[in-house]
Amino acid sequence: MTQIRWRALQAVAGLGTRRPGRVYRWSIVAVCVLAVIVAPWVIGEGAQRFLSEAMLMLAMAQMWNLLAGYAGLVSMGQQVFVGLGAYGLFFASISLKVAPFWVLPLAPLLCAAVAAIVALFMFRLREAYFAIGTWVFSEVVSLLISKTERLGGERGVGLPTARLVDPRWLEPLTFWISAAIAVASVFGTYALLRSRVGLGLMTVRDNDVAAASIGVDVWRNRFIAFVIAAAGCGLAGAVSFTATLYVAPGFAFDPNWVVAMMIIVIIGGIGTLEGPILGVIIYFALRETLTVVFGLSAGWYLIGLGMVAIAAILFEPDGLWPLVRGRLGGDWLSVRREPPTPPRIAAATAAAAGVRSSPHGLGATPGDR
Amino acid sequence: MTLLEVQALDAFYGDFQALFGVTLRVEAGETVALIGANGAGKTTFLKCLVGLIGSRRGEIRFAGEAIAAAPAERISRLGLSLVPEGRLLFPSLTVEENLMMGGLSRRPGAWSLARVYELFPVLGERRRQWPDQLSGGQQHMVAIGRALMSNPKLLLCDEISLGLAPLVVDQIYESLGHIRAEGASIVLVEQDVKRAAGAADRVYCLLKGRVTLHGQARGLGLEQLSRAYFGT
Amino acid sequence: MIWVETIINGVLYGGLYGLLGVGLALAVGVMRVVNLSHGEFIVLSAFLGVSLVRVVPWLHPLALLLPVAVIAFCLGFGLQAVLINRVVTRPDPFAGILLTFGVAVVMRNLMVEIYGADPRHLQAGHLAQASAGFGGLHVGVLPLLILALSVALFTALQLVLTRTRFGRIVRATADHRDVVRLMGVNPGRVYNLVMGLSLALASVAGMLLAIRASFTPYSGVERLLVAFEVVVLGGLGTFWGAMLGGITLGVAELVGLRLDPNAGPLYAHLLFLVGVLLRPNGLFRART
Repeated sequence: MTQIRWRALQAVAGLGTRRPGRVYRWSIVAVCVLAVIVAPWVIGEGAQRFLSEAMLMLAMAQMWNLLAGYAGLVSMGQQVFVGLGAYGLFFASISLKVAPFWVLPLAPLLCAAVAAIVALFMFRLREAYFAIGTWVFSEVVSLLISKTERLGGERGVGLPTARLVDPRWLEPLTFWISAAIAVASVFGTYALLRSRVGLGLMTVRDNDVAAASIGVDVWRNRFIAFVIAAAGCGLAGAVSFTATLYVAPGFAFDPNWVVAMMIIVIIGGIGTLEGPILGVIIYFALRETLTVVFGLSAGWYLIGLGMVAIAAILFEPDGLWPLVRGRLGGDWLSVRREPPTPPRIAAATAAAAGVRSSPHGLGATPGDR
Repeated sequence: MTLLEVQALDAFYGDFQALFGVTLRVEAGETVALIGANGAGKTTFLKCLVGLIGSRRGEIRFAGEAIAAAPAERISRLGLSLVPEGRLLFPSLTVEENLMMGGLSRRPGAWSLARVYELFPVLGERRRQWPDQLSGGQQHMVAIGRALMSNPKLLLCDEISLGLAPLVVDQIYESLGHIRAEGASIVLVEQDVKRAAGAADRVYCLLKGRVTLHGQARGLGLEQLSRAYFGT
Repeated sequence: MIWVETIINGVLYGGLYGLLGVGLALAVGVMRVVNLSHGEFIVLSAFLGVSLVRVVPWLHPLALLLPVAVIAFCLGFGLQAVLINRVVTRPDPFAGILLTFGVAVVMRNLMVEIYGADPRHLQAGHLAQASAGFGGLHVGVLPLLILALSVALFTALQLVLTRTRFGRIVRATADHRDVVRLMGVNPGRVYNLVMGLSLALASVAGMLLAIRASFTPYSGVERLLVAFEVVVLGGLGTFWGAMLGGITLGVAELVGLRLDPNAGPLYAHLLFLVGVLLRPNGLFRART
């Protein structure tokens, strides 16, 4: 599409190089909320399930992005929280004999607690060692649960208390909750990053030594991010397994969870909030195309995605969002802050006095070093 | 004949320009001093010569060959050798192994392991020790020896007196005399103006990436040098 | 008695674990990149062994160690030259592990497609069951052979690194990749050779492991974790440390299995986590 046509399209769509106006933004939000509420009556169960899965995946990817893209922590064991959230929910629901959705808040709380403890020893490891250390921890949890008959052992457990929920509402409730979690993950992360903790996090990501030297508590900021990410993954995992009504260590702690998170974030755009959204779209589009359209087995779509991820790291390490952003004009969820405007006094004074400032002053002309 | 000829050299670190149109030459057998304050671009200049700076523009001719676009690996074989700022010895190698690394791309010439030990006898005694067991001055000797092992036509010395006691610096500068006697030309980069000017035939001064002064070492007065050095 | 035997067998297999880790330690120490596809290459070597055995059934699998190692060397060389060298110079410390993770995902699933998910085994014939008696103790012949081979390879590696010109160049490149360029060394080429060596060592470990235990395309994850634990416990880049780390893990695993047959690698992992908690710089600190 030529430049002119793009501009016309943008003008019609109301998008421009300035950030969308308030009324415009709120009306979009209202439309989306309405769409989500109405959806279960409009689309079939299969589509609901697909969208639920996609939205939960988005939430998990945002969490992984929070860790890797903003806190500088690459976690390859994030699946442990997905699994712990699921197990936490299942056993809380079963032992308290209530419908699963009532005990949903327990899942993120459990994961937050575990994460807090894990951080104490995992944070001693740096970079790649932290990454694999978290993975080892995940394997340990998986093995421990496999050996514990009371937790279902290797075979896992079902969710009999799901019967306490009216079956007509099971799918819609899952759908609405997934949507809420996805939205919360995006805007929650946005709010976090715009806060003081977020600013601290981003300085830590860029240069932790420099951050420490200006008084940013590196450890504390990373700790907060790690705990939040664990809670988020735990919540998403709990809902995900509620939908399948069954949990077993092999599925709950499957490294493919974190593989998916990583691929989505890397392809979409690490360190941006819009990146994972784009990544999820690409991930599921690719998956459906390869498995449904081409009829390939599940292994092939992982191969395809792996190769796309490799290509992304080699050629577009910032992901595809920065490219798209250029085309669409303007950040939608930018967490960048405006630098304070430089004092204009010196330049103004010099101009008023009609004198060319010295080469070392503020009013120096370019090239005059 | 002109051993090294640099014309209008610009160098960049990403978007940041560090050198602006630097022009300089070294004749065979000369010792040229390059002085300037911290951050003036002296180390950047040396790195450009040996090919370690990716973005550079301009002309560099060494022994007749154009090397402005050549990779570092090739330049070392032409006879250009660097004693890096901060020594940058290999901590996993012994003193002797460090020297032997220098001799990897060796050209025919007078310098060998034995000759380096003759120049710096203390290294011979400590040949099997690790660099972190040596004093600062001894480490400088290893760095110089390593650079000599390839029998360079032009030896580039980046701040070889930095952090050393005056007596040790005397020793180092004395060795420069022996190095010169074997036929090598030298570029001396220093913050210590007196030392450098005292040991050199000609002096260049850099300030914020530009050459601000150039002339015979003997003919330069203190005031002239200060102005060029500090830009006041 | 049975405990002593268990411990001795643990030590012997520990040599194998050390071998699993030393290849990774080499790559990490020289290139500062943790190759997350290390486990997949270990498993791939085992599959290659299985395929080759079918081609030359009259040859004992141990004789195939060398050809598979050569193939692995070439693969490692290629992997580094084509992919990893492009990210080594980047300041981002995660590019390397993310890239190799992608390679691991692709390799793992390709192996599933090509070889299927069924468990395989490398048959070593009666050698696998043979045991020798030493004053009342029964020790497997195969584990003894494996330990001897591991020690031999470790020693050879140490000698190459400390006594040869190539070893000097590798150590120097690991120290200062830019300064070696001043001496005419191309760091990229050094990395290619080192990665080739790393995967060749991994392939030997992979084949030997395949004789001892069955494997599937998904076994790479476990192998990687073991290799990694060996590297970290041993002290991040020292070689004899890796050997000792491997032995510690081997003993922990076999003792654990005796106490608790369902445990799998649980006790090895627990030991690792405890080790990290107590001494994050490794159990055996030696001069790098």
